[in-house]
Amino acid sequence: MQITVPDLGDFADVEVIEVLVSPGDDVAVDDPVITLETDKATMEIPATDAGRVESLSVKLGDRVNSGDAIGTLTPSGAAADASGDTVSTRVMSPDEIAVATGSTAPEPATEPAGDATHRAQLVVIGAGPGGYTAAFRAADLGLDVILVERWPMLGGVCLNVGCIPSKALLHAAKVIDEAEAMAAHGVEFGPPRVDADKLRGWKNSVVNRLVGGLTQLAKQRKVRVVHGLAQFASPNRLELDNGETIAFEKCIIAAGSEPAMLPGLPDDPRIVDSTGALELDPIPKRLLVVGGGIIGLEMACVYAALGADVSVVELTGSLMPGTDPDLLRPFTKFVRARYESIMVSTKVTGMRATTPGIEVSFDGKDAPSVGVYDKVLVAIGRRANGDKLAAEKAGVSVDPRGIIKVDKQMRTNVPHIFAIGDLAGGPMLAHKATHEAKVAAEVAAGEKSYFDARTIPSVAYTDPEVAWVGLTELEAKEKGIAYEKVSIPWAASGRALSLGRDEGFTKLLFDKDTDRVLGGAIVGPNAGDLIAEIGLAVEMGADATDISLTIHPHPTLSETIAFAAEGFEGTLTDLYMPRKKRG
Amino acid sequence: MAKSIDIVVPDLGDFENVEIIEILVNSGDRVEAEDGLITLETDKASLDVPAPQAGVIESISVAVGGTVSSGDVIGRLSVEGGAAEPGADDAPVGEPQDPASTGETTVVADPDLVPGKPGGKETLVVPELGDFADVEVIEVHVAPGDTIAVEDSLVTLETDKAAMDVPATVAGTVLEMLVSVGDKVSAGSPVLTVEATSAPAATPPAAAAPAPAAKAPAPAAGKPAAAETPTAPAPPGKLPPINEVGFARAHASPSVRKLARELGADLAQVRASGKKNRILHDDVKAYVKAILTGQAAGPAGGGLPKVPSVDFAKFGAVDVQPLTRIQKISGPRLQASWVNLPHVTQHDEADITDLEAKRQELKGPAKEKGIPLTPLAFILKACVAALQEFPKVNASLSDDGESLVFKQYIHLGFAADTDQGLVVPVIRDADKKDVYELAAELRDLSAAARDGKLKAAQMQGASFTISSLGGIGGTAFTPIVNAPEVAILGVSRSTIRPVWNGESFDPRLMLPLSFSYDHRVIDGAMAVRFTTFLGEKLADVDELLRAIP
Repeated sequence: MQITVPDLGDFADVEVIEVLVSPGDDVAVDDPVITLETDKATMEIPATDAGRVESLSVKLGDRVNSGDAIGTLTPSGAAADASGDTVSTRVMSPDEIAVATGSTAPEPATEPAGDATHRAQLVVIGAGPGGYTAAFRAADLGLDVILVERWPMLGGVCLNVGCIPSKALLHAAKVIDEAEAMAAHGVEFGPPRVDADKLRGWKNSVVNRLVGGLTQLAKQRKVRVVHGLAQFASPNRLELDNGETIAFEKCIIAAGSEPAMLPGLPDDPRIVDSTGALELDPIPKRLLVVGGGIIGLEMACVYAALGADVSVVELTGSLMPGTDPDLLRPFTKFVRARYESIMVSTKVTGMRATTPGIEVSFDGKDAPSVGVYDKVLVAIGRRANGDKLAAEKAGVSVDPRGIIKVDKQMRTNVPHIFAIGDLAGGPMLAHKATHEAKVAAEVAAGEKSYFDARTIPSVAYTDPEVAWVGLTELEAKEKGIAYEKVSIPWAASGRALSLGRDEGFTKLLFDKDTDRVLGGAIVGPNAGDLIAEIGLAVEMGADATDISLTIHPHPTLSETIAFAAEGFEGTLTDLYMPRKKRG
Repeated sequence: MAKSIDIVVPDLGDFENVEIIEILVNSGDRVEAEDGLITLETDKASLDVPAPQAGVIESISVAVGGTVSSGDVIGRLSVEGGAAEPGADDAPVGEPQDPASTGETTVVADPDLVPGKPGGKETLVVPELGDFADVEVIEVHVAPGDTIAVEDSLVTLETDKAAMDVPATVAGTVLEMLVSVGDKVSAGSPVLTVEATSAPAATPPAAAAPAPAAKAPAPAAGKPAAAETPTAPAPPGKLPPINEVGFARAHASPSVRKLARELGADLAQVRASGKKNRILHDDVKAYVKAILTGQAAGPAGGGLPKVPSVDFAKFGAVDVQPLTRIQKISGPRLQASWVNLPHVTQHDEADITDLEAKRQELKGPAKEKGIPLTPLAFILKACVAALQEFPKVNASLSDDGESLVFKQYIHLGFAADTDQGLVVPVIRDADKKDVYELAAELRDLSAAARDGKLKAAQMQGASFTISSLGGIGGTAFTPIVNAPEVAILGVSRSTIRPVWNGESFDPRLMLPLSFSYDHRVIDGAMAVRFTTFLGEKLADVDELLRAIP
């Protein structure tokens, strides 16, 4: 039977902003199928019958009207609806939406723990960097803590299938690239022989060592680790998929996010998300990365070094959308020379699994109409897991994107339940999650902590690395903030030249009136490490002079930050900058 | 058995007369050894005075703003004796029991009769106080060993509205006082422990009452308790709420921001002493101290020029007497209302010749029933009619000043003069009461006000206030609105005045009305309409006397 768009009232040509199911998914009555967005609100179109989704005929960005077909469904208990073959769906009334979004929060009543399998003062859902930090900090503050994790290993995405394993592989990539680069300078190693199994083993050993350390840290703090997939049963109780229950006084939700997938892709092992890409199984001859964000570009970097011919396709007009264009220039120049192709403003219109490879069709002026790849990595973003916890049973509001809104103390709309990390909104970064984790744990323990950080650094561990912190030029222009920019090309840095990498630069943005550092960005090797100093300057409200009069060791890449401050002051001697600031 | 020890300030090194900037515990709080009790601030650093042992705070004898030196006693702590010495310490428990002659002699020797174990012993707690928390104990009426009966007054508390007694809910013998004068208590705070005598009638309600209340301090077992009870700022000033946008812009390092959060200070309000308006740690502390000690008003009072200070003794002999507590408390409230509300006062007269004639007629019979049928009762009745006609006068502005809150009830406050100062008891649901009922309630509340026996609930919730000075004299005055109410009616002494009836002057009894209002809510035309309407109602005595169906 068909799934159709119900009566949308006055709205026509409403955009599909999210497709929530894929063919083959089982849906229950009222499960949302797609999300539409009008200029007034977003609404989810729920299934009115239970069954298995056979096909979907809409995709992200499509516009639909009342009565349009969304897809087809095989009903599970088909006999129920004898009237015909159309499963009508319905739109929630505003009242229902108010109820669904939980605008009335229940009292944080501490119901009797009753017969719960476990009980704790604080339960933390998810053992990623946010979750384990929250659990450990709370335990150190004297709370009795249970840490719930759905997977056998602690550490979450970051340790197991994210930051850490990707960095291990990126290190391997860097060694390969640097060895190759030295050939031009008189040191030749010959082409590398890559043993993918051994490399994977080393990567896994790095992960295992960290994860083992976490288990130890939990033991030392008497944090009880419970394995299972948690869902709320009430504002004071969790149920696990293994039947156990946990009664708690307070809760920190740190259940993270998952890779978003394009709808309607064929089910084929050659199409992977970031987790699959880290398995290096096998290293393809020809790789397509769908999505030019940080995750996609990092994996592109690894595979390129391991010998794959890499193509990147990005829907928007630039790689790393939202990044200042000047940062992208050296990066793009560097990777264009090394990758097979970079296709921006290009849409992937379809994929077909064939014996020779995955046949991908494109729509974009610089793209071929079709290409065949040995592996396709889909890295189009991540989706928050806030709506996978039955949070409504605790009265916690979750938005249609799976994000749980929090205040500056990381409290949700239910005061004794906190949310941190990827599902709490904002950038999905481990260092943001850990910072939020400490705030939430401290507040749960009765301390008066707030998330008062002024800035969260962003780093792409690509080659070259791209990092920024504080104000960006795009943001300054958007908000009309006056700033003065000083860029120091790394060609002026002896250290950069001796690394054989002169394409990078260091940029600082200053307040013209107060000389304060508003933000900064760095492109080049180790940019991610160097950016921390600028972060400190922003948080401390440092002036250009505070940086320039701090002696930076020579010869290092960090000197370029001091050069930028001197450039602003007009005291720079390592470059000739005719435009002097003031007397 | 518990024994009581002094809490002393430890060696502070070179410092003397160190200021107390925060009191972290209340009487009755359970503390662990090393838990912070009070916070001192030297010019170098702030430090906490830790509990010497685990136990229950009996009393704290110092206040925020006071100064202490090494060795000073700051309060008393009731310490649970170690297991080694229960026998010796049991003795005092037995002693007070003998005079009580409970007949439960078997219990005396029972080693189970230690604090915390259920027995004849009960802890009496402060009852529900309405909106009040951290109310000061100003008098303690009983001591350990005293025999008390149900309803006996145990301690007297004073809120910013009035004083009230905490009555005993059981009869028995006082074992231990858990509060002392100057302590701050809230609903559920333990007051004393008592060895209850058999009082079957009183027991069920008494037992029921303390049970849920006694739970309140229990969460103190985990350290977090402090978070649930917002740190009690000292009464003189309260820190204004934090403006997050301003806070996020303030030029302050992360550690200064953290300090500001801990103290609840809005960085946007703090005066920066650093270069380029950088806020330093000391700036935050100075700001908090200034507000808590009342040296700086909240955001609203800032920038007002000060009245010059004069040394009166230069011009002759003087005698300095402290303000009463009620005066001290009502002063800032009156000033807040005066400064924040654009006041206008509308004067008018009402012809009460007929009303007064009728009242004189009814007064005698009413008095026989014990009801003093005062003019004020009629004025209240007329005000009810006027407030029903003009609901805006019965409304309040929302906190953000963006909307009007219309109250679906009419609770009338009336200013009562007492020895201690001005208090305003409230007659609830005045619209559901006839003149006789209003008069009877006026009588009861006035008596309670004079005796200082008003309960907190009897002074809360007014939607409009009447201040009648007619019994004393006067022709007109400009009362100050009792914000967040938006209007107040002042009444002066009625006089017989010649009133032109179109042909000749009639002698009529005229009552002067002075109606002050918040001009943000009520405009001049409405004010005159209100007083005119009120005057018509006061002239129509029959309607005022109509019984409530």
